[in-house]
Amino acid sequence: MPIISFISLLLGGFIAGTFGALLGLGGGVLLIPFLVIILGVPMHQAIATSIIAVIATSSAGAAMNLERRTVHIRLGMLLEIATVTGAILGGITANYLSASVLTKLFSGLLFLVALVMIWRVRQHTGQEPIYTDGVLPGSFYDDANRKIVQYTVKKIPAALLVSIVAGNVSGLLGVGGGIFKVPAMHILSGIPMKAATATSNFMIGVTAAASAFIYFAHGHLNPFIASTTALGVLAGSMTGVRISRRIHGNVLTWIFALALLGISIQLYLR
Amino acid sequence: MTDFISISNDVRHDAELWTGRVLRIGVWISASLMIGGLLFAALWPSSIIMVHSNPSLSDLFGHIVFGAFDPVTLMFAGLVFLMCTPILRVITVMVGFAIERDWRFVIVSTIVFLMLLGEILYSTSI
Repeated sequence: MPIISFISLLLGGFIAGTFGALLGLGGGVLLIPFLVIILGVPMHQAIATSIIAVIATSSAGAAMNLERRTVHIRLGMLLEIATVTGAILGGITANYLSASVLTKLFSGLLFLVALVMIWRVRQHTGQEPIYTDGVLPGSFYDDANRKIVQYTVKKIPAALLVSIVAGNVSGLLGVGGGIFKVPAMHILSGIPMKAATATSNFMIGVTAAASAFIYFAHGHLNPFIASTTALGVLAGSMTGVRISRRIHGNVLTWIFALALLGISIQLYLR
Repeated sequence: MTDFISISNDVRHDAELWTGRVLRIGVWISASLMIGGLLFAALWPSSIIMVHSNPSLSDLFGHIVFGAFDPVTLMFAGLVFLMCTPILRVITVMVGFAIERDWRFVIVSTIVFLMLLGEILYSTSI
């Protein structure tokens, strides 16, 4: 592999991992356009690489989040039944779709992700409500407000339905699916944003693993591309988690969302 | 809700810490294998044996067991190990629920584990 490709992959993985950790995403929404548009990697290989990156982001981030106790493991495992089902079906389906169809679908997904991100920033200005009349109680220590937040989970069947869709999109397009899971847990199930983001991060690795072996079996995993990118993503996600407390999230989200809109249009016109 | 939190607080925190540790160790092992493979390929490019597309899991396992290491085998071993970290996560969580005697969630995590196992078996048949 030429040295320039090696550095590009490492750097691309690092940037995707950093933004992924900062914004609670798997990083795939940034990584796939980078691999396809800039490096000319075939779509199926890019998706397989992105799935590896999602697992790397999730495993590195979940280790830290579990120690901070922000992950709601019970809710995560329950929703995982739905997402793994969706991911396996998505992984199988993707291998029967052409690269151009996958590119168009991915472009549509990016557009949707950008809109959801903008909406989340606009929603995230006030005090979030905490529900205590649901099931599966959870708690974590909120660093920002210096207090223990106790909450319960509501509307689990609705969150399960959204999780099937999230898993399917993950298996089909190689993204974490956090963009569906976080709003589902926060808005439908009423769990605090920090717990929703951490639980989603915990889940996306398991969801991605469900389709990773299918892509591996179909021969879409290039060891040089995937290894280099995964190492960049690992370094990036660890950096992202560390700097996340010092960066103003809303400004970052706006920039990221506008960039995604641009990439989405560029991918669609290819 | 306060009772619920205080009853199993320590056990639950231990399970979370263990799951976190397992993940951290898994990530470091897979990263080391991938770095080893990339360095191996950069320093001794002629040592690359397995240049064909993805090997099957059994081929890869055979290469590792019989010590037929080349850069690509090391990279694939690192990638497959990374792919297995979420499965290790599910197993650790399952054991944690069993220690807490929360059988309902032992069943939930067992279902997730069996689905992942089924998917691996399906992928080996492709």
